[in-house]
Amino acid sequence: MKRWKYCANAGFFGARRDRFNQYQPDRTLEEKIALVSQVEGITGIELKYPGDLDDSMMVKNLLDQYELQLSVVNVNTKAVTHFRYGTLTARSEKARRTAVQLLKEGMDIAAEMGVGLVTNCPLMDGYDYPFQVDYAQAWDDFIAGCREVTAHRPDVTLMLEFQPHDPNAKILLNNVGKVLYVCAEVGAQNIGANLDVGHSLAAREAPAESAALLFRNGLLKYVHSNDNTGDGGDWDMISGSVHYWHWVEFIYTLIREGYQGWIGADLAPRHFGPVAAYQTNIMMIDRMTNLVERVGIDQIQTLLGQDGNTPGIYEKLTANLA
Amino acid sequence: MNKLAIITGFLGAIKNRYIVYQGDRVLADKLALAAQVEGCDGVEVCYPADFQDPGELKRLLERHQLGVSAVNFRSRRTGKWWRGSFSSLDPVERREVTDDLKRAMDFAVELGCYRVTTCPLNEGTDSPFEADFRTLFDAAADSLYTACAHNPEVKVCLEYKKNDPRTRTLFGSAGETAAFCLMTGMDNLGATLDIGHAIQAEENPSQSAVLLQRAGRLFYVHLNDNDGRWDWDMIPGVYHLWEFIELFYTLRELDYDDDWYAFDVFPKEIDTLETFNAVMHMTRKLESITDRIGLEKMETLRQQRNPAKTVTYLYSLL
Repeated sequence: MKRWKYCANAGFFGARRDRFNQYQPDRTLEEKIALVSQVEGITGIELKYPGDLDDSMMVKNLLDQYELQLSVVNVNTKAVTHFRYGTLTARSEKARRTAVQLLKEGMDIAAEMGVGLVTNCPLMDGYDYPFQVDYAQAWDDFIAGCREVTAHRPDVTLMLEFQPHDPNAKILLNNVGKVLYVCAEVGAQNIGANLDVGHSLAAREAPAESAALLFRNGLLKYVHSNDNTGDGGDWDMISGSVHYWHWVEFIYTLIREGYQGWIGADLAPRHFGPVAAYQTNIMMIDRMTNLVERVGIDQIQTLLGQDGNTPGIYEKLTANLA
Repeated sequence: MNKLAIITGFLGAIKNRYIVYQGDRVLADKLALAAQVEGCDGVEVCYPADFQDPGELKRLLERHQLGVSAVNFRSRRTGKWWRGSFSSLDPVERREVTDDLKRAMDFAVELGCYRVTTCPLNEGTDSPFEADFRTLFDAAADSLYTACAHNPEVKVCLEYKKNDPRTRTLFGSAGETAAFCLMTGMDNLGATLDIGHAIQAEENPSQSAVLLQRAGRLFYVHLNDNDGRWDWDMIPGVYHLWEFIELFYTLRELDYDDDWYAFDVFPKEIDTLETFNAVMHMTRKLESITDRIGLEKMETLRQQRNPAKTVTYLYSLL
């Protein structure tokens, strides 16, 4: 049966930074693409605009050369100083216009590259302090911005990626519920969600439930795989290395719903390098998938159909651990 | 009354995973800026980032009439000590960090503050089964024992924090830090109580202060606030108004009242000078509210342990 495809996020193949340190050497786009192509099982790559995709012809050639498909255009509106007060929700009209423009350009590039998806993580739209933001105004602007962007062209879907915080203490789009709300209020056919499993865990959700809610509404278009310790930190660790059973449950949900999209990954391999990190991540997801298949989707579904059968589920799951 | 200091690392460019905020400044400009902050009495000086030559630093401090609360020793550095410094499994790395900490201790003597604070953030682990914790604790105890023995007159303060960049550090709470200091057996090894870190570790800062004092390890206090989830380094009192007032009240009871408060507050998109003016003002304001608490009245209320009465009284002071 056809399943999902694996892709990598090129940004994680170069230098990474946190508040204190810089990890991994910086690399050119070609060096990053070459490294991604070394990971067995990966057929796609997520690239940023502005940045990676500024010269799309050159990128096309590189991707052909390394036999990789572009999976999505990641419109990056977070790591730039002129958006420090927000993007779609900034008080400055110029900043809002710039953000809308970048998202539209990202959609055009996606169409040109034959990809129907752009993704945006609106991290700058948030706040630190009480009394910092007029929430009603910010939400009006966010919805209006999403409406304008989705109306730009129906053949490309705008995916929103929520995250609970960082670099703002509070981000407007901080959980799956807000994403569902935005998609409902915007009301466009071409809006959806990029579910980052680590962000969902950082928001104290069960990622399988978040995925199920998105599937119910036809909104789950893309997945970022990773894991973290659940302390609120977006540690971008290898999938299943901490929340093993949450991850197994998430995979069960993807299979049950027939997900055939991309599974990308945001992985920050501080000390062991991106190729090993992505390779291990795929191995973990494949092995967790094998476990789900050994138990069987139907069997799990039957067990879930009975009240109070949690012991029965774990009996079956653990009996099938390799 | 405690004097107020700004950590020099917060007076230039500051960065997180995504963005660099504010322009970077050289030490001379940082100190000139600190001198402009209303009510700022001094600085905590970052070594080695902001100075390696105490001579130049002393001249600048004198020019701007600034005191020094402590030397801030950086135990994590890009490109080295990746798996911890004090607790590194490599004896060469442990030797290197210990020698450098001794140098910082000598600077603390030369600057007259007799205090080095260090945030051991890179000591710890990310994933299950990453390390043998027995070895890590032994290594850290060995390094810090050696450094502390270098000069018992200088206080070495561990600024505990539960994570970042490690997902879990070795010294994540007041209790872990107090226990580690006691086990290491050096009287000049203690804690920097960073209020934001305590809040992030789900502690009540006053309780942590008392515990550390009981262990003889309350050496130094950093002030900042957050929402309880992350170390956002915010203006004191913005999220935890009453916790800060209780803390100031408690620190006076503990006789931590003729010392320093140092601030790590992130002036992100707000101007650095404006941010620290607000920090100083808010801190003194919270202290002035603390002043209104009647000592006998509070003693009676604490005997009664009736929050309905206590909260009513506290709000009557605003």
